[in-house]
Parts: sequence; structure tokens; C-alpha cells
Amino acid sequence: MATHQDVVCPFCGLGCDDLTVKAGRSGLTVVSTDCPIARDGFGRTNPAQTNLTGPPRVGGNVVALDAAVQAAAEALGASRAPLIAGLATDVDGVRAALVLAERVGAVVDHVHSEGLYRNLAVLQRTGWITTTFAELRNRCDLLLVAGPDPAAFHPRLYERWVASRPAFQEAPTREVVFLCGEPQEGTRTALENVSVTVVPGDAARVGEAAAALSAALADPSHAAADIGALAERLRRARYAVVAWAAAGFAGPHADLTVERLVRLVQDVNRHTRCAGLPLTGHDNVVGANQVCTWQLGVPLRASLAGGAPLHDPYRFAWERFMDTADLVLWISAFRPEVPAFPADKPVIALAPPGTAFAAEPAVFIPVGTPGIDHAAHVFRGDTVVAVRTGRLIDRGLPDTAAVLRTIADALPQEAAVC
Amino acid sequence: MLTKLSGGRIYDPANGRDGTVGDLFVRDGRIVADPGPGAVPDETHDLSGKVVMAGAIDIHSHIAGGKVNLARLLMAEEHRAAPVAAEGLCRCGGGVASPSTHVTGCRYAQMGYTAAFEPAMLPSNARHAHLEMADIPLIDTGGYLVLGNDDLLLDLLASGAGEEVVADYVGWMLNATRSLAVKAVNPGGINAFKYNQRRLNVDEAGPFHEVTPRRVLTALASAVQRLGIPHPLHLHGFNLGVPGNVEATLDSIEAMDGLRLHLTHVQFHAYGAEGDRRFSSAAARVAEVVNRRPNISVDVGQIMFGQTVTASADTMAQMGNTRLAHPKKWVMMDIECDAGCGVVPFRYRDKAFVNALQWAIGLELFLLIDDPWRIFLTTDHPNGAPFTSYPELIRLLMDRDYRLAKLAELHPAARKHTILETLTREYTLGEIATMTRAAPARILGLSDRGHLGPGAAADITVYTDRPDRRAMFATPDLVFKDGRLIVRDGVVVALVQGRTHVVEPAYDPAIEARIGRYFEERIGQRLRHFRIGEDEIRGGDGLVRHACRLPTDPPGAF
Repeated sequence: MATHQDVVCPFCGLGCDDLTVKAGRSGLTVVSTDCPIARDGFGRTNPAQTNLTGPPRVGGNVVALDAAVQAAAEALGASRAPLIAGLATDVDGVRAALVLAERVGAVVDHVHSEGLYRNLAVLQRTGWITTTFAELRNRCDLLLVAGPDPAAFHPRLYERWVASRPAFQEAPTREVVFLCGEPQEGTRTALENVSVTVVPGDAARVGEAAAALSAALADPSHAAADIGALAERLRRARYAVVAWAAAGFAGPHADLTVERLVRLVQDVNRHTRCAGLPLTGHDNVVGANQVCTWQLGVPLRASLAGGAPLHDPYRFAWERFMDTADLVLWISAFRPEVPAFPADKPVIALAPPGTAFAAEPAVFIPVGTPGIDHAAHVFRGDTVVAVRTGRLIDRGLPDTAAVLRTIADALPQEAAVC
Repeated sequence: MLTKLSGGRIYDPANGRDGTVGDLFVRDGRIVADPGPGAVPDETHDLSGKVVMAGAIDIHSHIAGGKVNLARLLMAEEHRAAPVAAEGLCRCGGGVASPSTHVTGCRYAQMGYTAAFEPAMLPSNARHAHLEMADIPLIDTGGYLVLGNDDLLLDLLASGAGEEVVADYVGWMLNATRSLAVKAVNPGGINAFKYNQRRLNVDEAGPFHEVTPRRVLTALASAVQRLGIPHPLHLHGFNLGVPGNVEATLDSIEAMDGLRLHLTHVQFHAYGAEGDRRFSSAAARVAEVVNRRPNISVDVGQIMFGQTVTASADTMAQMGNTRLAHPKKWVMMDIECDAGCGVVPFRYRDKAFVNALQWAIGLELFLLIDDPWRIFLTTDHPNGAPFTSYPELIRLLMDRDYRLAKLAELHPAARKHTILETLTREYTLGEIATMTRAAPARILGLSDRGHLGPGAAADITVYTDRPDRRAMFATPDLVFKDGRLIVRDGVVVALVQGRTHVVEPAYDPAIEARIGRYFEERIGQRLRHFRIGEDEIRGGDGLVRHACRLPTDPPGAF
């Protein structure tokens, strides 16, 4: 039984790098934290639960890797409108996916881009003021959590970045206010030494609450008592942070909720310092977007079908484009889960062994998980920090990038489009 | 394989050649001495009448990292309007002011550049910057590490740490982040902005840590000297863009007390507050001091007219610029207790007095600073203009008639506020070769780049000598990278990967315990995960280390 110290967790985007992970006959076990995402992510290596050696399949039949690669290349070569999505892989995997997408003229998107786009839409329309985790930890004296508790997506958020005192403030005190959202039980525990208040409200209307706060900053006389008081606390804070997890916002046009929060941050900044913290980052969605942006100039939800990148956050969202596409190449290296695909089109799936499919894909190629089967780069959710995850076990699984490069090499030559 | 480049007019200032006709020989990616009449070249290029220079080197261009990606995201209109289709070996992408990685590498190479350096790599963002730079094809890269607003350094200074400890910290950080040089951006100012201070004077104690910018500046310049880092402290100075900021610029030079200092995008820091519009050129004052002080070098940060985007770690200055955003949207970010970034789209207009005068101030600096070894051709890409405007800028420097014609198009009041009309200097080809090749390599410590002597990397650019210098420098005939022909007549004919240049100064490893504690308690990262492994740079293939001077070497001027 080997014990790995200071393991970097690649799953939720918080970038925790302090895990202790034991490796034994029952796979990997996280022993240093209760974080359900880390425990689940590393724990999926148990051979009793997953088919450890799950070989590649074509049409449901077990084949050698090169035969699966050949089948994938042939299908891609024949496709007129491929979708390369999921894109849940490390930086190298995304690089390889984009090279392949350019070759075959595919649309690219990440499985979790919906939550990301509620934020990016606002960034691209109006800009924003944001901050990063270490600033939150050391400078923030008032954290306003807007909407549903982000701990559902990022369980160790408070333990790692909020529970301590802000070291770089003269008066090292911190308070946390939940606006239109109840803190989870674990959140209460993590914040037991921090002043926590809840300004209750309908989570679906947190944007309206933010707008009321903006109005109260300018003129508190018409504000409800709790909103007026909160506006005053924001104004008196030295470094306020407004955090939200847009993936948890319900209803259509959730980007408008984000826009209200971004506007609130700008309004508070007229009086003191304040910054937003849009929380996201599962399965390296932020890294996928970074690589896509630096390689193509445009973010995810881009089409390479026309020879040059075309970005359209509506048309090229994977859930929508899946209806248009005539082939889906789905990458899910972080978890053995994939969505249900339309029955009428071929699916090439790159995912860990043991992945369950609603319908058998045309091609299934098992790949390793970044940070478990191979060293990898993934981005933290605050977009600035890229972390290097290590390799913990050898299941003989290839990494996504290697598989995608082999597929690209096996493409028929005339497939070059972009 | 032996390649002969025969009969070109060689401009190689580092080796005293100023248009001398001669042959060059290349073997295994390096320039070699004439192997004698017995050697038969495998390949010969007849360069009779052509102008031959080393590959050009851009010492200050924001090509990679978080703020560049934010600029791309914010410039959505540009990417919609200017997508770039794949062209031969160059992959698709897009952008002009915020180009994608392949567009960046291909455009630079097509202009005869073989290296460009990212001058603002934040410690926390260094891994990202390196990952992105590895995706820029054809050119060499490297990053300057931004220090001077990091809470750890300010804390060290506040607690009275001596020069040695500061140097150990700087040395450790350069090694850990695989950097080439040290950059200071508005030292103390970005940190002060996090406490809602919108201005900080050079001798004013900042909030919380209570350290003055002058103290930060001198501490970093001393550390750079003590560590023997070839490039002097690369300073983005105080009060960027603010009328009257020339006083702080001259003050920074004085504060050096003879230590070497590189003032970057000095055009943005050479403003007076005189005249009827309270905005005036202080180029002559800056040039006079620079000419007198051999310890000072500058790059200009020329502005050119048109749409661009400004991206800077200097949140304090950028917050002030947000009211000028065009289009009206901008991003500010406080980052990881080490710095920040501000991205503000901007359109420089020749009919606007301030922009027109900025343009003239940059050119005045070029023409008034005598020594081409100490002034560098930059637009602070993309902040003053995209790097693709270099050929136009070179024409402005080499062709007075053209310059005067352009001046005549400007806002009339700006013309009255500049002495540009009286400046008759025209840069020679030799001076251009110095300022874009030999001098950048020398000031960065890249001993085997920027020249064409035996042993140098065979990064070579061949031009047709055209009277229209813009056309000449926009499209060289041939570009070689490490001896391989990569561009012919503007077309990329081979896609090679560049290298990443770093320094690895020696330091006392005892500092690591203190840094480690700080990272665990404050930054929330284990030091071993913060440090970037050699295998992470271009997949372990392409790191080039440059020597730091030994303490016994003479310090001081160039």
C-alpha cells in the first residue's frame, strides 16, 4: 500500500494540492479530506467497481487499440459535421482535440460550458472586476455569496479559502453573508469561527437582490431594511468579494443574473474595493477554454467548419449542436459518465473504463484520468493558476492527447478542412 | 549539412559589419567560420545585393498569459471581424491586436522576427504563460517575472530584510518560474490599489506594508545586480499615461544611483503638464538624461493609430483609463497576492490631440536618444499598437519625408507641441539592425543570438533593399530559424518550434523555508507544486539557459 502525499486534485477547479491518497488493491482512497468530489474522483479506481482493463470496442466488439483508432479516424473522415465535445481532459488533451477539430472542421465545446458561459457572456459584453483565491483568503473582509451555496460544486471552498483570517488587512476579521441562498451544513461547520449571516430570498431572484443593493448604495432611503444594511456593510468593507457559482443558477438567461452581480461589484468599487469571484472549473472547463482561446482567438463553442474559427455561444453549445452534428466525438477523461447521445448518429467516446452508456457507442476507447493515470496540467477555477497533477497508478491506459494524436495521424489525407 | 549564404550585404553590428559584402556558412543550426575552399556546401543561397541581418528580437511584447487571453475574450468583435483561415502550415486562428498563438508566431516570422519576449509574467500565472508560449510556433520566447507588488516581497522589505535576503527571494522565484528577467510594474502601486488607493507617490509609504515605491525599486534593481542577471531591472514606471509623469520617470533614474535600469514603454512615461492643454512632450528631457547615463536603457512603446487593446498588470493605471475604453468595456483583476491585470480596449485617433502628441513623443524619443544600443523598437504590443505595425514604424524612423507627411495629417495643435519637424535624423540600416537584433540580444544576455558571428544560432533574415522601408521590412525574402528556412517571400515553408530562454541565478537555498511557509499559509499552495519543472517547458525540449555574471565580473554599464 503506497501513500501519496500532497496530491493535486484535478476535479472541481479549487486546485487543492494537499491530498493524502493511499493506493492499494481496492484502488485509490483519499484519506485526508471528506471532500466528496475528491473521494469520488480518486475512488473510481477500485477494480471491484470498474472494469479495470476495459479494452477498446468497435460496435460493441472488443478490438485492439489501433483498430479502434482506425475506426474512429474513418468515421471522422466520413463526417460532414462532426462535434468534438465533452472536452473534459487536461491541457494536452485539449490541444490534441483542437488539432483534430481543425483537421475535420468540427464544432468544439466542453460538457460544463453552460455554467462557464453565463459568466463569459457578461465578460464579453461588459467586462468585469474579479479576483482570485489567494486574494480572497488574505484580503477579503466581507464575502458576499450570491445564490445557491457554491459548496455544492466546490466542497472545500470555505475550508481552504475563507475560514482563516485575512492576513493582509489591518483588522483581520472576516464576515460572510449569504444572499438568497442557505449555507450548506458543511459550510456552517467550516465557518464556525467566522461571522455568518443570511439575507434570505428566492435564489432565482438573486439578480434582483443585487440590483436592489446597487440602488441602495446610491440611495438607501427606498431599500428594504436588510438590503439597506447590507449595502452599507459593502460600502464600509475594505475588500469585499462577491462570489457565485453560475452553474447553480436556475432558469433561462441566467447570464443576466451574473450581469447584475458584476454591476454590483462595479458599483461598490466606486466607494471601496470590491471584486467578483465567478466560481467554475469542473473537469478542467477553464483550462479547455483557455487553450481554445489562445489557439483559436475565440473561446469554446466554436466551429472550425468554415476554415477559420467562428464563435457562437448559442449555435455551437454542444447540447444544441448535437442535433445538427452527424457524428459526436465525446471526451470524458475525468469521470466514467457521459450524456445520452442521439440514437441516429455515430458516437466515438474517449472515457475511463467502466463508463456506462445508454446505447453502445460506435467506438469506445478507454483513456486514463489526468492526475491519476498520467501527469497533466489543469486550470484552477479562478483562471490564473494552472496546476500540475501527478501520476499515481498505472492501469495501462493511454492519455487522451496520445489517442487523439493517433486518430489525427490515421485520418484520410483529404479530410483537411481548416 | 553545410549551407552557404553567399554575397549578401551583412549588417551585423555586434561583429562590426555594416553592410559589408560577404558569405555566411551554417552548419547544424549554427553559424560557422568559412570552412575554406575544400568544403562543398550542400545548399547555397545567392544573396547578391540582398540585405542580411540576424533574426529580429522583440524585447517587449505581450504575447501570452492570462491578460492576453482576457484581451482575446474582450476583443470578441475583432475576432469576429478578423478570423484567420489556415494558410499552409499556419493553423487557423484570428485577431490583430489580440492574435491567437499561431497567428502570433507566423506573423512574427513573416516579418523576420525569430524571438519575442513576454514582459509581464506573474508568478502565479507563469505556468499558464509557459503553456501558451509553447503553442506559439517558429519564434523563441521567454518571460520576465513581475515582482514588486507581491505581498511577500513587501513583507520582507517591511520587516527590514537585507539585500541578500531579497536577492535570494528573487533568485528563487526566477528559478521556480523559469524566467529570463525581472520586471517591476508600478512597484507598490498595484498592491496599493488592492487597498483602494488610486495613486501612490514614489516616496509615499504604501498601505498595510508601509513600504515606499522607491524602496521596492531600489531593492529589486540591487537584487538583479547582485544575482548577476544579464537584463537590468525592466521597469514599467510610475503614473503611466498621466500628464507630468516625467518627473517620476527622471526620479526613478536618479534613484538607481548608477545601478542599471531598463525603462520600458518610456513613451507612456515622458509626459509633461505644460502648455494650454496641460499635456506636453517631455521627450527631450528624458532623452537628455538617457544620453548622459550609460546605465539606462529604454524601449519606446510607440503608439500607432487605430484600434487596439491595452493589457497591463498595472491595475492602478488601467482603472484610471477605463473611462477611455473603446469599445466601452474593460476587465480588472486582482491576482494571487502577487499583482493584477487590467485590460482596456483602446482606439488611438490621429485627430485627437492627446493621441497625436503621444505618437510624436514616441518618435521624438527614437530620434533624440543617440545610442541605438540602448533604445529598442517596441509598440508595447498590443498596448501602443499591434506588433505588425513595426514595418510602418521602421519607415517612419528611416524616412524623414514620409514622417513629415504623416505628421501633416495629425491634429494641428499636436503639431505645434512637437519638435518632430526639426528633427532630421534618419535611422540607417545598421542602426535598425542594432536596435532590433544586436542590442536586444546583448541586453538580455542571449550571447548566441542577435548576431552572425561563428557560434551564433543561425537565426537569419534576408531582405531586398527597397526604398520603401515599410515594404522591405514587412516581407523579407528569406527567414532562417536555427539554420532552417522557415519563411520564403512571406510564406511559411517549415513549421519549427522555438525555444524558451531562462536564467538560473544562484541563491542561498535557506530562503526556501520562508517562502514555503508563506506559500502554505497565504497562497494556499505547496511550494513543490508552485515550482515549474523543466519537463513542463515545451515538454522538456527547448529550455535554453543563459549565464548570470559572476560577482567578480565588473558591474555597471554595457
